[in-house]
Amino acid sequence: MTSTATVPAETPAEHVIETELLTKKYGEVIAVDQLSLRVPRGGVFGFLGPNGSGKTTTMGMLLGLVHPTSGEARIFGDPARHPATLRRVGAMVESPTFYPYLTGRANLQYFQGISQHGSPEEVDRLLDVVDLSKRGSSKFATYSLGMKQRLGIACALLGDPELVFLDEPTNGLDPAGVVEVRELIRQLGTGGRTVVLSSHLLAETELVCDNVAVLSRGRLIAQGTIEQLLRQHDELRLRTTDDVQARTTLKTLGWIERITDSDEGLLVTAPQDRAWEITRALAQTGIYVNELVPLHRSLEEFFMEITGTDPTTGKEKA
Amino acid sequence: MTLGIINLGRWEWFKLRKRWMLWILLVFAILFGQLAVWGGFFSYQNLQRTGGELTVPATLQQNQGRVPRTVACNDLLSGDPAKQPADLDPQVLGGLTAQCRQQATTLPERLARAYQGFTLPGSFSSALSVVQTLALILIAILTASAIGIDYGSGTLRSVLTKGTGRWPYLTAKLLTLGLLAALGLIVVLATVTISSTIAAAYAGAVPVSSAGERTWSDAGTALGKAWLSVLPYLALTTFVTVLARSSAAGMAIGLGYYFLEQILIALLSGLFSWFTNVADFLLVRNISAFTQASGGTGGGFGAAGALPDATHAIIVLSVYTLALGAGAFWLFERRDVQGATAG
Repeated sequence: MTSTATVPAETPAEHVIETELLTKKYGEVIAVDQLSLRVPRGGVFGFLGPNGSGKTTTMGMLLGLVHPTSGEARIFGDPARHPATLRRVGAMVESPTFYPYLTGRANLQYFQGISQHGSPEEVDRLLDVVDLSKRGSSKFATYSLGMKQRLGIACALLGDPELVFLDEPTNGLDPAGVVEVRELIRQLGTGGRTVVLSSHLLAETELVCDNVAVLSRGRLIAQGTIEQLLRQHDELRLRTTDDVQARTTLKTLGWIERITDSDEGLLVTAPQDRAWEITRALAQTGIYVNELVPLHRSLEEFFMEITGTDPTTGKEKA
Repeated sequence: MTLGIINLGRWEWFKLRKRWMLWILLVFAILFGQLAVWGGFFSYQNLQRTGGELTVPATLQQNQGRVPRTVACNDLLSGDPAKQPADLDPQVLGGLTAQCRQQATTLPERLARAYQGFTLPGSFSSALSVVQTLALILIAILTASAIGIDYGSGTLRSVLTKGTGRWPYLTAKLLTLGLLAALGLIVVLATVTISSTIAAAYAGAVPVSSAGERTWSDAGTALGKAWLSVLPYLALTTFVTVLARSSAAGMAIGLGYYFLEQILIALLSGLFSWFTNVADFLLVRNISAFTQASGGTGGGFGAAGALPDATHAIIVLSVYTLALGAGAFWLFERRDVQGATAG
């Protein structure tokens, strides 16, 4: 896949998406619960959560597909569901949907036509971007899952939108396709454009996202840069000349969050940039450090910790 | 807003014209139009050749038990013994001849009327009387399919996220379908014009009679009525398709209701006298009443029995169109959009 060319114009709003106590209820079931979300302008924003956590419903409300029960959603500072606002947005929500009897090219021409954005050349350029130039004249019904997915991405990019929603964009792609789409998403997130990426593939998300929000059971439970979130509960593995005495000494340091025993020594939950203070405090009490290893958690581990669920199945982890 | 709707209509046509269904339905409509013209042409020729035909019941034939058959008035009135049916009593033969003599007085008028039925401009009304009933069914299929595909394939989600707006999108769809119905009728009439011209050339001299001639104004009125009568049915199918989010449901109700109403009227009017009053407010019955009124095309088996007057029909059909249309728009605007329903 080749890169997309143009850069969207800057607008003054600091946040491209803002929701205020956004709620959606289906009878007694609360799909989204008082969600107050801010998506900063530019970059790739990961929208994470186990299946059924309310990601797609939230996207639906932002895109005017689902009526909120209460609360407010704004895109570029304007009401989210307003047609003029949506014309500045590209989206692929859930699986890509197209007219099966039209060719891939005709489908893109149609969606470009109804949005009244872009030039005829853009269709061919986008088919090229998603590597579908050779199959552009084939009917959508004959496409494989991966090709459908790529056409969905091309459709979301029609009109060079300032904000792009991509819901599970790598579904059905082969490993090479996944890498290509990952690269494409990174490129899309540069130059002032914002990409909101919803995915349960956390390893992928970690590689491309600048900021993330984590939803669980319809509620926002964490938001920030990946670095901030992962560093929130930094851990150090510590082996000393006297672990029992070391534990007592470290307990006196007020800024250490937690100390737990493990087979490989002590696990200390504390900011990693204060490791030197730990070694100094221990040395002052005659305890010396044999090994001090900063432990880097993955986004997946963080996700499981804060949601208590498997990201794919949405079921609670044993 | 208006320009946006026109643009959406243009792209609706882009989608529709690439579907086989549209062209197949048009071919059906053209064939039915041709059926009216050539059916009229052959019955005119038959009337000319036979002078009218009388059916002889099996009980009146000497060798009773034979199947009923027809005899041509021209044969009976020719006086040629070779052309007289040999298997009939002279008394029966006399009776039939008397009937033929009576009919012969109106023959020029009947010939003229038959001639007008397949030549311009009368062939327009004849063709529309056949096509108008079919048009209801065809528009039901086309509407259910055009609206239902967005639910079945889940494309409504993709469309609405492009910022089309819900009302403009449905409005553009319905306007396009309404326009296509009008264009379809015009195409049918264009083919009727060609075949009428050919048939008139084959038919020979114009029969002379005092029968009132059909005018282009009658043809225009018939076209207008045929098109207007499609609109309530378009509204009904749209409402059902949006309500059920399914083209299959839209088609089933659109097709089924036409026949169901006739059956209901036939059954319940016989059982309960008050049902006749209820029947006067049913959809298809009022479509028949509207199209059968002066200058209309008639047709449809809802035409049986005393139909409501034209004003009543116009009011009832307007209420149906507005109520069903408003219901469809309300549902379309109000409900959340889900994924593909495959229906």
